[in-house]
Amino acid sequence: MTLLKRDPNAPSAWRDEMQVTSRYTFGIAGERFFRAIKDDQQILGSHCNNCERTYVPAAAFCERCMNQLDEWVDVGTVGEVVTFTHLYVNYDGSQREEPETVAFIKLGDGGLIHRLVSSGSHPVEIGMPAKAIFKPSSEREGSILDIVHFELITN
Amino acid sequence: MSDRVAIIGVGWSGFRPITPEFSYKELMYEAARRAYSDAGVDPRRDVESFITVAEDFHEGTSIFDEYTPDQLGAVLKPMHTIAGDGLHGLATAYMLVKTGQFSIVALEGHSKASNMLTHAGITAYAQDPVLNRPLRLNTHFVAGMEMNRYLYDTGTTPEQCAQVVVKNRRNALDNPSAPYGAELSLDEVLSGPHLSWPLGMRETAEHVDGAITLVIANEEKALALSNYPIWILGIGWSNDSPALENRDWSSANYIKDAARFAYRQAGIHHSYQAIDFAEVDDLYAYRELQSLEALGFFKPGEAGQVTEEGLTHRDGAFPVNVSGGSLGMGNLLDANGLARALEVVLQLRGTAGPRQLDEVSIGLAQSWRGVPTASGAVAILGN
Repeated sequence: MTLLKRDPNAPSAWRDEMQVTSRYTFGIAGERFFRAIKDDQQILGSHCNNCERTYVPAAAFCERCMNQLDEWVDVGTVGEVVTFTHLYVNYDGSQREEPETVAFIKLGDGGLIHRLVSSGSHPVEIGMPAKAIFKPSSEREGSILDIVHFELITN
Repeated sequence: MSDRVAIIGVGWSGFRPITPEFSYKELMYEAARRAYSDAGVDPRRDVESFITVAEDFHEGTSIFDEYTPDQLGAVLKPMHTIAGDGLHGLATAYMLVKTGQFSIVALEGHSKASNMLTHAGITAYAQDPVLNRPLRLNTHFVAGMEMNRYLYDTGTTPEQCAQVVVKNRRNALDNPSAPYGAELSLDEVLSGPHLSWPLGMRETAEHVDGAITLVIANEEKALALSNYPIWILGIGWSNDSPALENRDWSSANYIKDAARFAYRQAGIHHSYQAIDFAEVDDLYAYRELQSLEALGFFKPGEAGQVTEEGLTHRDGAFPVNVSGGSLGMGNLLDANGLARALEVVLQLRGTAGPRQLDEVSIGLAQSWRGVPTASGAVAILGN
């Protein structure tokens, strides 16, 4: 379209932003999952007997067979690094000076996404074990942030 | 009467990194006018139903579908919006025509990405609000982790991924609608800044503004109106689990599934033999290789090798993203799948200009909705 001869000084756009605040209900399975993290430093999965699959984080139902799940399993706090990345941008899109490492740690047949740190000088590799590091109990409030990060086990 | 469905008109506006003088409605209007003119239809008289693909947060307007009828000629006509990629919209248009209730349908998708001032926040808002979003991680991490595991499992190299960038951005130089054409060396791609290691910024498609409209018709109207109807031979779509914790980090199983669906419909048993060229998702360079393998053209780990050998170049045996792909044309958000389909249509019509492929009769278009999604679609088109 060439209808418009533009005047560079003319106003060209309106700017606005939106206020959005939501509550996200954990649900029956999520509430128990996060309570176990908060109260017991435990990571729970739920097991499907049909599919022989342990969902982590625990889910109320099996997404493969639609079975309702009520068999709870403590899957421990150590899992394997399935994949990881060194992230060079912040949440808002701005550049980071130093990257942060993010990983998917396998627990049961699922796992958790979290930050990964290495206390030694060993570089992160796929397949290495990593352990969940929890906040002190007085600071835990029942969220994924009750886990500070996962720490690489290098010995 | 046969009940084939065809694309009989295409129109687009753009594509440009910024369009400060045009509103999104004007971009859509221009693309729609061109598509209706190309199809030889009057939207007020002939087009019986309208579809857009759009996402409220991309548009900055709630209930955005309310804002789409006027610029498409759809006022007081059946009109609805799909929250999906453009190829999901094409599947919907196909089904609408197949109902027999509508003989001509218009489909539109667009991007006014330059107006999104906080895009990182929008994709972050698509993360699981309880499990992932509290970590406050830029959503590109999903692509970085997927690329890392894909390389690990298939033996694909970072150099092979970078080769996709070199190829697609060079292809874009012969596409006048593609703003990101460039002659880059492998080193220039690899030495660029990291985004989410092993993924580099130069392996990531930049956003672009533009709009695309397609006109879809039943066989009777297609044969009456068009000299070169492009037939929809198969169209499939699929979603994996949305949970990052439940998905396969190495192979795009939802693309495999969507492809099976489309191949079955098109009667295709050996995709590589049956299909002449493909336009596939390359929002991140590794995705082109991963997609080509999910589509069954190559075995896991082979796509990178054949790309290095030149097989997927424009003059290779199996050209991929001759348009320049998203790396060369830009990331059109919800309209990416329509950009892929548009190129397949132009090639099958023989009107692709300097980048025209010789003797092509069946082409494939494939799309992905981007991070953090696990959904995609596949369309097989023939002339």
